[in-house]
Amino acid sequence: MNGISALRVIVGAELRAMRNRLLKGNRTRLVALVIVLLLAIPFLGGGTFTVGATAGHFLPFSVDPLLSAAFTGLSLLMLLIGFPTVIASLFVGRDLLQLVVAPVRTRDIFVARLVTAMSANILISGVLLAAVLGLGAGAGAPLIYFPVALLLIAVQVLVVTSLQAILMTVIVRWVPARLARDVAAAVAGLTGAALYLTWNLSLRQTFRRTARPDVSGLTSLVQRIDWLPTTWPGHALTAIASGSVAVALVWVLATVLLAAILVAMAELLYERTLLVGLGVFGDAPAIWRRRSTVRPSPQPYPLRGEGSPYFAIARKDWLGFRRDVRRLTRLLPALLLPVGYAAALSQPARSLSGFWSNAALITFLSMFMASALSLPSIPSERRGFQLLRMAPLSMWLLLRAKVFIAFPVVVATMLVFSVAVAVISKSGVAQLLELVVLGLWLAAGFVSISVSGGAIDPRFDATDDRRSVGLVGSLAAIGGSLGFAVLSLGALALFLFGGQAASGAGNLGPIPSTPAVGFAMIFGGVALLAFCASLVGALLWIANSRLRSFEASIAST
Amino acid sequence: MSPSPSATTAAVEARQLVKRYGALAAVDGVSFQAMRGEVFGFLGANGAGKTTTLRMLCGLLRPTSGTALIDGIDIQAQPLAAKARLGYLDEEPFVHPHLTGREFLDFVADLYRMPRGVQREERMSRLLNLFDLAKKDGDLIGSYSHGMRQKIGLASLLIREPSVLLLDEPTNGLDPRSARLVKDLLEELAARGTTVLLSTHILEVAQALCRRVAIIDRGRIVAIGSMDELRVQAGSEGANLEDLFLKLTAGPESREMIERLLDAGS
Repeated sequence: MNGISALRVIVGAELRAMRNRLLKGNRTRLVALVIVLLLAIPFLGGGTFTVGATAGHFLPFSVDPLLSAAFTGLSLLMLLIGFPTVIASLFVGRDLLQLVVAPVRTRDIFVARLVTAMSANILISGVLLAAVLGLGAGAGAPLIYFPVALLLIAVQVLVVTSLQAILMTVIVRWVPARLARDVAAAVAGLTGAALYLTWNLSLRQTFRRTARPDVSGLTSLVQRIDWLPTTWPGHALTAIASGSVAVALVWVLATVLLAAILVAMAELLYERTLLVGLGVFGDAPAIWRRRSTVRPSPQPYPLRGEGSPYFAIARKDWLGFRRDVRRLTRLLPALLLPVGYAAALSQPARSLSGFWSNAALITFLSMFMASALSLPSIPSERRGFQLLRMAPLSMWLLLRAKVFIAFPVVVATMLVFSVAVAVISKSGVAQLLELVVLGLWLAAGFVSISVSGGAIDPRFDATDDRRSVGLVGSLAAIGGSLGFAVLSLGALALFLFGGQAASGAGNLGPIPSTPAVGFAMIFGGVALLAFCASLVGALLWIANSRLRSFEASIAST
Repeated sequence: MSPSPSATTAAVEARQLVKRYGALAAVDGVSFQAMRGEVFGFLGANGAGKTTTLRMLCGLLRPTSGTALIDGIDIQAQPLAAKARLGYLDEEPFVHPHLTGREFLDFVADLYRMPRGVQREERMSRLLNLFDLAKKDGDLIGSYSHGMRQKIGLASLLIREPSVLLLDEPTNGLDPRSARLVKDLLEELAARGTTVLLSTHILEVAQALCRRVAIIDRGRIVAIGSMDELRVQAGSEGANLEDLFLKLTAGPESREMIERLLDAGS
């Protein structure tokens, strides 16, 4: 098979597979994806273009540092976030094995897979494109600026992807490709979560500022990193914008030459990597293979009496969590958001201050922690779920076991956080106790609701915990948690204000502070708590029924 | 064929089991009995309904109609009591890849509330040795080969000595030595009173081990009985199990098809 036809066959198969995944997969997910894209493109693209145009118009002397920083920043982002896609496309995947054993040159495999490998980087570069085009428009750049910007961004994507491929050819000599992909995915997830958090929090600050924007810090930073090749496309575009054609040509040629060298190097190293049996064959080097033998963990309970399914499931989950790098790495970004938000919002300068602000933060933290830990707890059993179904234990016991496994973790996090916010906000012991009681109640409710959500609509075949719960289960968990949170906080308010009213010390506006009103409010609080408990009970009951009637086969994943 | 067991009580009984998926009847009125201490063969082509029947018998699937009894207990009416008596090994064993072999056996023993202690530990060690897994008992099951997973799956059944074993292709992926070990083991277990319901494609294994076999085709039992009874049913005196199976399931003549295919290619 010649190079062009091999390329056509491989890329064609990839495109057909993608089409089938989209059209024959979950229709609801497809519609949601289209809606998100339709909303995101004008919002994100238009917003970035406007920011770029404003900066280009009002800061014409800072176009070079802005462009250099944009290219460098986005290249770094592509390097971190796009890495898992590059590893998955070029080094992992059983479909790659078929290509390797077929009469196709490694060069053709590399080129064909490079197209897929670049997909994440191309998506990220869309943001860069909008910003760069906006800057050019704002700075009044000539028409040639725009096609050259498009070309340079495409070249930059190629540079970053090739660099990632080169790095990976080195990494797979010590670390199995699948593990590298999982770690890279965790780094990408953490980067994404951290960026989102930073953006979101700085947005809050931006609206408070009245000072004019200052790019002197950016200029000095760009001066320090001016030697980096990632700044070259920025210099080229600045030269075009200022009319220096010769200078622009030099920078464009330098960028293209660098890309050509990196692509050639990547192809050569990739070919050698496949030939020595690394990467796709997943042949773990000896240095790593030794780690697959683990010392059996000691029994967490005395070796006496009857075996306990509770402890067995808890111990199995704990060992699985500790040893499954993929699960662990996927949990980290999910945990970063609530902890980051909670920590940032509990700063005295940012918080709403007072007991209710702390109560809201604890509610938020417990809800996210419970969701991250408990929602996938039953679907993550995967084929092992059949083992539990065949054992003489009820699904009710399984649900209870999963709740009791996650509950201490959520409570421990919440306790640490409660104490921290109480100390920072100088709350008294009484308020701390109220927060702790609230936290315990919320943790029990949220964990039960999240476990139920996972059990109501489990996807046991999913290899990724984030996709292991279907839409119905996710909605049940989110809706149930929100309802539980609102009702619980309402009950707490009724208890606190009712207590004040009963003692005649309350100041409830038009509502009279009498014992009768106070007791009525406390009774209302009890009714709300009863409603909360029945909500949790109903979800657990549905989950139990769903698990008992589950009978689909579970593919080996 | 192995000698006939003396016991006569039905340890596994399927009564008019039906499983429908929409208009398709995957299993259509299957009835049979496997006696205590018997190795009973369950044979059929791919997609004939063997696995669906086994999964209804072990409670993984709810029958559309009919009853599955284990030691006389209806598995749908009293699932916990019936499940405590049986062990099911799937074609692809249900194992946890992030546990070591020993941890997995411990996990299963706890699920079935087996008493902890020295006896349990010794039994685990004996089973790991028997299946040649002792040297690998510190390795994660995820790093095991298919045959080793099959063996740890079998060990997880034997750790708790169930009175009924439902095995779906138990020798699948095993090397000849391990396959022989499994055959000997099943014979010994049957001799000690364990009922084994064996679903297999390997007809030599069925012929060597099973006193009686049932042949299922397109969801229905087409023949059931000992070898002699099957020969009478098929009207083929002196035929082996393979010939009987092919005759009773009336599949297309493969030799003719192969010739046609090769002729078309030349």
